[in-house]
Amino acid sequence: MSESDSPDDIGTSPDSLDLSPREPSARQRRQRRPWLAMIVLLLVVAAGGVVLTKFLTSAIDYYCNVDEIGAKEGCEAGRRLRIQGIVDVGSVTDNATATEFSMSFGGVSLPVVYEGEPGGIFKECIPVVVHGILRDGVFNGDRIEVKHSNEYEAENPDRIVGETDKGSECSQ
Amino acid sequence: MSNDRVTSTPFTKGLGFFVLLGIALLIILGIFVSPADVNQGESVRIMYAHVPGAWLAYLAFVMTAVSSAAYLWKRTRSLTWDRIAGASAEVGVLFMGISLVTGSLWGRLTWGTYWTWDARLTTTAFLFVTYIGYLAVRGLGGTHQQRARRSAVLALLAVLEIPLVHFSVELWNTLHQEASVAGRGTDVEMNGLMLFTLFLGVVVFTLMYVWLVLHRQRSLMLEDMLDDSGLDHALSERRAEATQAGR
Repeated sequence: MSESDSPDDIGTSPDSLDLSPREPSARQRRQRRPWLAMIVLLLVVAAGGVVLTKFLTSAIDYYCNVDEIGAKEGCEAGRRLRIQGIVDVGSVTDNATATEFSMSFGGVSLPVVYEGEPGGIFKECIPVVVHGILRDGVFNGDRIEVKHSNEYEAENPDRIVGETDKGSECSQ
Repeated sequence: MSNDRVTSTPFTKGLGFFVLLGIALLIILGIFVSPADVNQGESVRIMYAHVPGAWLAYLAFVMTAVSSAAYLWKRTRSLTWDRIAGASAEVGVLFMGISLVTGSLWGRLTWGTYWTWDARLTTTAFLFVTYIGYLAVRGLGGTHQQRARRSAVLALLAVLEIPLVHFSVELWNTLHQEASVAGRGTDVEMNGLMLFTLFLGVVVFTLMYVWLVLHRQRSLMLEDMLDDSGLDHALSERRAEATQAGR
């Protein structure tokens, strides 16, 4: 309605009943938000589906331990596996293209070849999960993830690392 | 704006002061005083935000469920409970986000990867997505009571995911730390100062949670009041037009 209209003019002049759409007020814009909520909800349902698929295909039993290869369902040699073991003392050798080491778990040892430099806090005596395929008794890894334990100990530069700690087997 | 239309009270102002003090103390202890870890080095300091973030997200989602149950309780139907539930879920999503981001950075430094689909990370992602969905459901429109009923039912279902997330590291083999690796015991062994800093982090995050929820539920109340007054305003406009047209 134009400002010149008086209440008495209603219905008497052509522009007194202005039916053209009004500019939405801030309040009406707020009420339109359900569309945004519905879009978010659709995205949530899609993301939930992806996460659920990942849960069923990847997350249940993320890895096989070294001693479970060929012994546990889903850990058959020849298929792509994720193997968990503890890096053996003195087994790590680097050459120009690959890192070679062996890892053990449950009294079984497995030689590993990894193309590249492992990231994270990779070192001897630490549990790692290696992704790859077992070929001719050697595990060819293309991804290494380092597990860290729930033990936390202060780093002490004065700690004496003697032969007892650096024996042929990991102290854990 | 009159004094009853603001979200702070002397209590929240005092609480806010202690939260700021606590954050400052946590930064000093977490970054400068507590020791580096023998295996993880300096990256262990991320724990002081990561763990309290996750615990407070759990607490926030449980609070959402409790408030929702209080709303649904026979003859209560108080929208205050609904707004506390909504505010708590928003803060919970924020804390879960903090935990996911810090966890991802920590993972890059220690595991060597930002993300992997192991059971703990996957269930946490599902929990996070669920509560974003919960907030979206709250925004679907309708009356305040409709919003409250829908979201209360969802909150009571969503909270059941928390045990699954928490015990995922026990139920399945996960990259995320758990107790059984290499025959270690189930007790968490932690340096005393590290444990104290972690404890302080949980206290500070808890106070921060209370401060945020108090303010947020009051601002949600003001939003509801604005909606209600908007309806009154629209009604009075229509009445005025009808009166004019009737002349």
